[in-house]
Formats: sequence, C-alpha cells, structure tokens
Amino acid sequence: MKRFAIASMLFVVAVAAAGFLSPRAASAEDIKLVGVITQIDIAGPDATTATATLKDNKTGDLVTVIVTDELTLDKFKDHRIVTGDEIRLKYEVKDGKNTSKYFRKTAGC
Amino acid sequence: MKRYLIVLSLLVVAGTAAQAKEHPGKAYIEKNGYRGPATCEAQGCHPGTAKAFLSTVHWKHASPVANVENLDPGKEYGMKNRIYTMCNGNDIVNNLKEIPPNPKTGKTKFTGCNACHPGNHISDAGSTGKDAENAVDCLVCHSSAYDFRLRKPYKDAAGRVVMGQDRTPKAALSVGKPGVKNCMVCHEAAGGGVLIKRGFAFVRETDVHAAKGMVCVDCHGAKDHKIPTGYDPNNWANDGVRVACSDCHGEKPHADEDTNRHVARIACQTCHIPRTGGATAKDFTRWTQGEDGFFEPTTLRMEANETTPVYAWYNKTVRNEPHFIGPKGSRGDKQSRIYPFKLYEGKAYFDKKTGMLLSMDFAPPMATGDTLAGVASAAKTLGIKEYDPVPGWQTVYFGSSHLVTKEKALSCANCHAPNGALNFKSLGYTDEEIRKLTSAALYFDKMAAKQKENW
Repeated sequence: MKRFAIASMLFVVAVAAAGFLSPRAASAEDIKLVGVITQIDIAGPDATTATATLKDNKTGDLVTVIVTDELTLDKFKDHRIVTGDEIRLKYEVKDGKNTSKYFRKTAGC
Repeated sequence: MKRYLIVLSLLVVAGTAAQAKEHPGKAYIEKNGYRGPATCEAQGCHPGTAKAFLSTVHWKHASPVANVENLDPGKEYGMKNRIYTMCNGNDIVNNLKEIPPNPKTGKTKFTGCNACHPGNHISDAGSTGKDAENAVDCLVCHSSAYDFRLRKPYKDAAGRVVMGQDRTPKAALSVGKPGVKNCMVCHEAAGGGVLIKRGFAFVRETDVHAAKGMVCVDCHGAKDHKIPTGYDPNNWANDGVRVACSDCHGEKPHADEDTNRHVARIACQTCHIPRTGGATAKDFTRWTQGEDGFFEPTTLRMEANETTPVYAWYNKTVRNEPHFIGPKGSRGDKQSRIYPFKLYEGKAYFDKKTGMLLSMDFAPPMATGDTLAGVASAAKTLGIKEYDPVPGWQTVYFGSSHLVTKEKALSCANCHAPNGALNFKSLGYTDEEIRKLTSAALYFDKMAAKQKENW
C-alpha cells in the first residue's frame, strides 16, 4: 500500500511538471471569432497551406490565419469559400503564428 | 476479411483506371465548348439522360413515400413541400429570392431552400420539358474542377432570380464519378449551415469508409441517376432504391458467431456508429442577429461525434405527427431492429386551430427577425387565410448511418453493463431480463480470452 502511495505521488508530480514545462500547454488557447474574408492567398492547386485574412465582425480588426486542413484548402481551391464569405473561425497562436483549427462558413441553405 | 481485400483491390484498380482514363469527348468540347446536357448527349453519348434525370429525387425534390404514416398516398413529398422543424421552410414557401434589406445595414442577400437544386432556378424542382432538360447542371455533381464562384444566384434582365452554373470547358473536361465534395457541396450544409442537419463530415478522421478512400457513391451507387438511400425516418423522398450495410458486408459480417447473432435484432449502426453530431435543437420562433445584421434561427450546434444517440426499435416505418417524427417498431415486431438515432428538438409555430405545424418563408425573419412575418408570407404562398400561430416543440429522430467506426465500435461491456449504452427498460425488457442482460457473466469468458489474445 505504501509503495503504491509513493508511486502515485511520483506520478502526480511528473504529470504536473510535464504540464508546466510543455510549450503546448503554455500556448494552446483557442481564440474564436466570426468575420468576413477579405483575402485568401493560396499557392496553387497542389498547395498544402494557405493564408486567409478575416475582418472580425465585432472589433473590425483584421486577423490573418494559416489554414492547413485539407477540407478547407479544397474549398479555397474550387472557390466554395471565397472573399466576402462570413466565417466562424477558431485559431490558436502557435510559434507566433495564427493557426486555424476551425474554419466554416456561417451560412447554409 | 477476404471480401474486404477483394473490394479494396477493386477500388484501387477502379481509382487508378479512373485517373488514367480520359473521359471521351475532349476534342469535341475543345472545339465546340460546353453547352450543358446538349454537349453530354452529343455524338451519341448519354442519350436521354437529362430527360430521365428530371424524374429523380435530385431534380424533383419529392417522391411517393410509402413508409410514413399520415401522408396522402396520391401526393409526392420531399424538401419541395415538406414542413418540419429542422428546416421549417421548403422549396415552395422559402423559394430562392433576394431578401428585403436589413434595416440596420441596408444590405440584402439571396437565400432559399432550392439554392441546392441542380437546375438554374428558372427551371426549378419538378419542372419538365426541354428548358428543364437544358437547365440540368451535370457538372456540379460530375466535375472535379467546378468553379463555385460561377454557381451564385443573380437577377437577369427580366428581374428573374437565376442560379449560375459553371459551363466552362475546364469544368467539362474534368468529369467523372462524383467525388465526396460533389455530394457534400449540398449535403454538408443542409439545414442551415455546415454539419447542422446531418452532422457528419465524411473524412478519414470520422468514418472508416472515408479512411479507406471510398466516396459517397461507392455505397450510394446510382443507376440511371436513381440514388439508393437508407431508411432515415426523417428522409422521406427516395428513388425507390435502397442501400444497406449488408449489401457489401452480408448478414454474417463478423468472425464471431455470438456477435453475428446480434445482427437479427440489432442494426449494424447501433454498434458501429456510437456517436452522432449536428444540431440538437433549434428555435424558429426566435432568430438570433449576427454581427452582419442578418438573423438566423437560434441553433444549438454540435460537432460530428459530439453527441450520444438514442436507441429505439425501428421497422422502417415512420410515425408522423405534428409534434413527433420518428421510428415505429417494437421488440415484439420481428421486422424491428434496434437502431441509433440523433434526437433533435425544434421549436416553431403551430396552428392552434388545426394543431398542424406552420411553415415559414425565411426572407422576412432573415432581414428583420420578424418570425411571424415569415409565417404570414408562407401562409399567403400556400393560400392559407386563417390560422392562429402558437409556439410549440417537435421532436425528430434522425437516422444515424455515417460516422462509421470499427475501432471504437461498441463491444459486449458497452451495452451489457448496468450503466451500458442501451436502456433495456425503454426497449421493452422486463426487470428480470435486464438483470441477466446486464451481467458480466454473459460475456466475461469471451472478453477475457480476447483481452489475453490482444495483449
């Protein structure tokens, strides 16, 4: 029982330390906004990354995010998502860059 | 396993062939351009296809419906004319149009249920004749290079609202079997936004079939553009052809006979689709204003795989009442099996005089938030002169047949435990039966052996 208690304590300490030291834990705060796309930059049909700039509906600020998910990239390429579309966006700041985690048109049928 | 390998090999071969083989007619299109179905039917290719397409659900947005109660057997039903609380409008009352200007911004926009109809809106859902045939947008489903900037509504010189199409040679020279995106262009945004109605993304992360590189039409394989569907209690219109898991997997899909025995009374989806997604509730009586000034129905959104299904007996016939649309069936009915459903609740206006659900034209509430103006507009279109709108709720059971998983499928202990996924009481079992059904004694030896095998 005593050995189990010591092992448990060591485990808790290790997990807590890992949490404090991990850069992911320090930076991963999702930021949400709804805004209109003012610009999309994509290198071409084979691009694996794109940048999109949105004007935040609430603040009017321009926010530029990097988009890497295949589904959204494909929608940029065939223009299912275009400048002027309103987007519900969730992103995180990773290594100083805004990285999209959720990029969807607000409109439906 | 062997069957899987054969299917997989065939898919790989077919995929490779599709990529390698050029669609005939390239020279013709390069010389003459693309003029819609007339080009597809030129030189003896695809003769009569456009005319035949006009009789399908994708064009008519309606069909005879045999498995739903309280319908007129002489009528056809579908998104052309149905009223229920996921949409509350339909092609008729919420016809594609330019909405009134928003009082705050002065801006307007085009909206309507039939924005997804594969015509040009002049020839709309259910239209027939030469103009309709010429209006079919073959490429929106068949081209992998469709430019969606061209598929936007606009007003022509006569003031009619027209849906644009991409009829460029580039799009026409990229035709083939529809890919996932061709289907999802419409199906992912149904019901008011991305993943709102059906709540699934057909991507490798959320569906085992997508992970294997399959596309929608590998299961929903059409013949003469009649596309097989399942028996979602809320998806009524159909082309008279159906799809089932057993079409590919057979009636004994597992290596283990005890598991196979379940197939007689438990639908595949019950174990292999343990989660659902999409909107769980909406309020059409109270629309929420967005930052752009326009209003949308207040909606509780959920991601794919974010909600737990409800389980019920279902014999593929549907109880259809103003406040409930869902499965019929019972334990005693041998045609019934236990299925998972996405439970959805929608609030809208009902007519106090008749008890029936009223429909809504979205244009007025979208511009101003005035929901009763939307009901009045729909009533006018339908010729309803007297009604007394009162808010009320409707419960809808949506079928859950995507988000298929093998790795995360429910196993013995997920259901046969006192706190298991199935509510045996509500499924019609006695207390004594439940005591036996939720005991580890049922499966302990089998699972212990499997555990040893796995580790």
